[in-house]
Amino acid sequence: MAGKIHISLTVNGKEREANVQPRRLLVHLLREDLGLTGTHVGCDTTHCGACTVMLNGKAVKSCTVLAVQADGAEVLTVEGLAEGEELSAVQRAFIAKHGLQCGYCTPGMLIAAHALLQNNPDPTDEEIRDGISGNLCRCTGYTKIIDSVRYAAKIKNAHK
Amino acid sequence: MNPPEFEYVAPKTVQEAVDLLKVRGEWAKVLAGGQSLIPLLKLRLASPALLVDIGKVPGLDYLAESDGHLRMGAMVRVADLNRSALLKKKYPAIHDASGVIADPLVRNLGTVGGNISHGDPANDLPAVMLASEGEMAATGSGGNRVIKAEDFFTDTFTTALAHDEILTEVRVPVPLPRSGGAYLKVEQKVGDFASAGVAVQLSVDRASMCTKVGIGLTAVGPTAVKAKKAEEAMLGKQVTDRVAVAEAAALAADAATPTSDIRGTAEYKKRLVRLLVARGLKRASERAGGKE
Amino acid sequence: MAVEIDSEDPERFFVRGKGRYVDDIKLEGMLHLHVVRSPYARARVISVSGGITGNELRASMEAVGEDAGGEENTSVSFPVLATETVNYVGQPVAAVLGDDRYEAEDRADEVDVQYEPLTPVMDPERSLESGPIHRQMKDNLVAESVLGKDFKANAPIELEDTLRMARMSPNPLEPRGLVAAYDGSMLTVYASTQSVFSWREGLAGSLGMPEDKIRVVQMDTGGAFGSKGGIYPEYVVAAHAAMKTKRPVKWIENRYEHLMTTDQGRGVRAKMKVYAERNGKVKGLKADLLIDAGAYPVGGGGWVASWISSQLIGPYYIPKAYATSRAVLTNKVNLGPYRGAGRPEAAFFMERMMDKVADETGLDQAEVRMRNTTTKGWTTPLGRKTPPSKPFFNEALRAFKYSSRKKKEKLGLSLFVLVPASSGGESAKVAVKGGRVKVWMGGNSHGQGHGLFAKMLASKELGVPENLIDFQHTDTSALSSGVGSWGSRTAMLGGGAVVEASRKLKAAAKKKLGKRYSKARLLEGEYEAEAFFKPKDFLNSLGANMASARITKVGMGTIDEVVSYYDVGTPLTPYMVESQIEGGTAQGLGEVMYEQVLYSEDGQLLTPSIADAGLIHSTEMPKVVAMTGTHRSSLKHGAKGLGESPTIGVPPAATRALEVALGRRFSYLPIEQEKLWAVELPKE
Repeated sequence: MAGKIHISLTVNGKEREANVQPRRLLVHLLREDLGLTGTHVGCDTTHCGACTVMLNGKAVKSCTVLAVQADGAEVLTVEGLAEGEELSAVQRAFIAKHGLQCGYCTPGMLIAAHALLQNNPDPTDEEIRDGISGNLCRCTGYTKIIDSVRYAAKIKNAHK
Repeated sequence: MNPPEFEYVAPKTVQEAVDLLKVRGEWAKVLAGGQSLIPLLKLRLASPALLVDIGKVPGLDYLAESDGHLRMGAMVRVADLNRSALLKKKYPAIHDASGVIADPLVRNLGTVGGNISHGDPANDLPAVMLASEGEMAATGSGGNRVIKAEDFFTDTFTTALAHDEILTEVRVPVPLPRSGGAYLKVEQKVGDFASAGVAVQLSVDRASMCTKVGIGLTAVGPTAVKAKKAEEAMLGKQVTDRVAVAEAAALAADAATPTSDIRGTAEYKKRLVRLLVARGLKRASERAGGKE
Repeated sequence: MAVEIDSEDPERFFVRGKGRYVDDIKLEGMLHLHVVRSPYARARVISVSGGITGNELRASMEAVGEDAGGEENTSVSFPVLATETVNYVGQPVAAVLGDDRYEAEDRADEVDVQYEPLTPVMDPERSLESGPIHRQMKDNLVAESVLGKDFKANAPIELEDTLRMARMSPNPLEPRGLVAAYDGSMLTVYASTQSVFSWREGLAGSLGMPEDKIRVVQMDTGGAFGSKGGIYPEYVVAAHAAMKTKRPVKWIENRYEHLMTTDQGRGVRAKMKVYAERNGKVKGLKADLLIDAGAYPVGGGGWVASWISSQLIGPYYIPKAYATSRAVLTNKVNLGPYRGAGRPEAAFFMERMMDKVADETGLDQAEVRMRNTTTKGWTTPLGRKTPPSKPFFNEALRAFKYSSRKKKEKLGLSLFVLVPASSGGESAKVAVKGGRVKVWMGGNSHGQGHGLFAKMLASKELGVPENLIDFQHTDTSALSSGVGSWGSRTAMLGGGAVVEASRKLKAAAKKKLGKRYSKARLLEGEYEAEAFFKPKDFLNSLGANMASARITKVGMGTIDEVVSYYDVGTPLTPYMVESQIEGGTAQGLGEVMYEQVLYSEDGQLLTPSIADAGLIHSTEMPKVVAMTGTHRSSLKHGAKGLGESPTIGVPPAATRALEVALGRRFSYLPIEQEKLWAVELPKE
């Protein structure tokens, strides 16, 4: 029986510690040990992106990262996008443009959009489509998600 | 879809990692970006006793030209390849491939070393290495060695690396003037494995005659395939020579041994190889001539 | 041990990651269930030991929800846990429990099953000539339907084709799952579901418990598309385990399990024959359908045969028709509903033949369809009431700007009738307390945002602003009865029930308050009203699609734009109508170009991941233009059905557009990649 490993990481700006089995996936650390259930599991095979979080500033699929790999890392989940009650630009845009239906892919989409806009503040529609191409949505047909990301860029750029 | 138990160590040096691999033998496995290995663990298709995570070894993520080679540390992320202006300009085949591997999120973690040492014939970088005279530098308990790409991919999910060897660097020679490359992949949808993929790397002289040609094939055999006869057929020929191109394309298809699957029949994949080789030669030669 | 579900505006909730899905539930002492499944498509079970097995839990599954009401073949039951034979890859054989999901999966090793593999029946075409899968049956025929009368045809044009639609997996992003908890008397089940009432009925039946000892609570549900209306073996096992261990038990499906063991849709082959005049008028239709019903004669197999063939004539006037269909067993997971559930099949088969008539006569595809439309409602020889289609199709063609666009573009069209699942009715409850209004519907949103129109309708009826109205998740303890959400029914029936319940509540308040009645006084009091709404009229509606295809730079055909024109009656929330159309269009296109579930000859799944199953990404999604015709229905709130329209109308239109762009006929979906090339691939 492999022993547990002590890890510490920063999640949504807070120092967190945990003792985890080496096999524990980051998504389960977040959801079950840290209670951050906004990050979802959709496909188990690194395709759907429902589990997308920011790991050291990059969007990754947390179902395909071991919690121990994230030792010392900075993680941002959907719960960390808003500042208190103040929703972030992508969150507001997804509400304004109805970029969601069942809500299951939404946290991953928001993080992917957040990452995209961080690297590319004014993306073309093609760049938006490419930026969220690692995230599946079964409800919206993406149309309103793309509208939402475009609108989020607009909101962000208006505040500069 | 949850991994079985294993131990985990994150050594700080390559030597430490190699020592662990030597001591633990076949039951130890190297973890890099995890984008191929962790899915296998979740399916419980792999059940190593120990994972040796080389992600915390400093200094394995360099990407630069030196001593006549482009050198890519094993832990360079695929996304970093795709962002590199140097690659886009001078190593377009690698740049092309880095944009079609999996999806943007997987590329943020997936590594050069992992893509190559996983030995998956459907991965995209192996064919590029076969086309580009790539070499793999490995460190093992017996010391360091360099393995040519054409000797590296020995079978499906099997490479020339010994169980106690770690791939540390992937490199290709700095191309001659008037060189170009391309990687073309036909996939169903973003993130899919290729129905077929073709890598071409070539150099031409002032008369547009091919002086060097490399052709690698993805997902049409037990390993990535080096289409040697096709390469030879193009040597000394101009890429505008339609007969030569057609012959090379046919020879490349002969080298392919695809199987029928959900992406298409074996025959279709061979025809795809012919189409992509012809197109790849054209695109690579355009790039050699300074276009795009 | 109650699970709290917030009723804040779901969009604000979801973007914060505060949705409450079933896998988010964490209860004290909760165990995780892992199911041990058959690795064979067909085998005799010699022995099974370890974990919970069918020797302990002797129970079988019942068809409930959308699957109920077919001609049930009762000679063979579908066991919760197999003890004698297994008949599809992934069939549950045993279950184990662990303190967490990892440990539960590890415990699968404690189960020992000995199998004797048998040759599976995989090809429905050969099912009837193969020996019976179940020894209790004399052959593999599940259901047979004959509609209309055979006729002798005498027409200058006779056209035939064999058409096929692959099996598909519903693939909601949230997989199936539940948490079952037992307090010694009451079983509470938290569910990702389309119908809490079907779940209660099914669990009660399988477990032999009275319904009043079971409470089913719906959690936020991350899509369903047909997969969450009925019950599955895992639910019965989890409930059994919770009662046995007196600890809450969670089971969450993984995607591999979804693709192996969640009922699949489509899987139909049609031999179609039409008889037409030179002027394009179709005089007769003969059809023979073969349906791949999967391993057990429960579920979709029982009702799909007659359901599809009854709809074959669609919106057209075809005086003679004769349709035979058979549903046959194979060693695959059962057939079940997938968005459209029979409607897309009928439309695809008919529309493909209309295009064939166009090609044969040289008439434009729109003209052929127009000539076969009707100006009067009628009942087809296959027994379906059909609304007049000519005026609507004229409207649609104008909206599409078809005649000008066809000059420059490669277009495909479709025209269809949406037959919603409007029988059976639906319930709703409205309550006023503490200055706020609560609304429940018996069949609930599983991701479409039905709460928005429910609030809107209650607001309109009661005159109370929407910000004072809370939409509640469905819970069997909140309503006295209910049906479920599927078959494009909820806006009409659930919406109708909200209107009725609101009116009842208002009438009660008026009676009590008399002349003092005002909106403010209404909110000061406490009132409750429940209504069950059953429409009297048939509520079929019409829809049309146009798709435009182009050739990509790579040289392959692709869809560039999909335009819809659907009669949605009075649209309740316009952006939701658009959202439904956009999402359904993605599924319709997936069906044309990518989506399918494939098995090898020995019954192994060849498409074990969500990527293999072919879900469309943002990068493959074309432009969608969603237009609606608004012809009020006879209902008080004027609504008509919508949810399934895009999966009905998009596949034939998109298939035709690709056909026009590529110059080759397509009869099978999905179209193989090889056939999408516009350039000639080099040959050997």
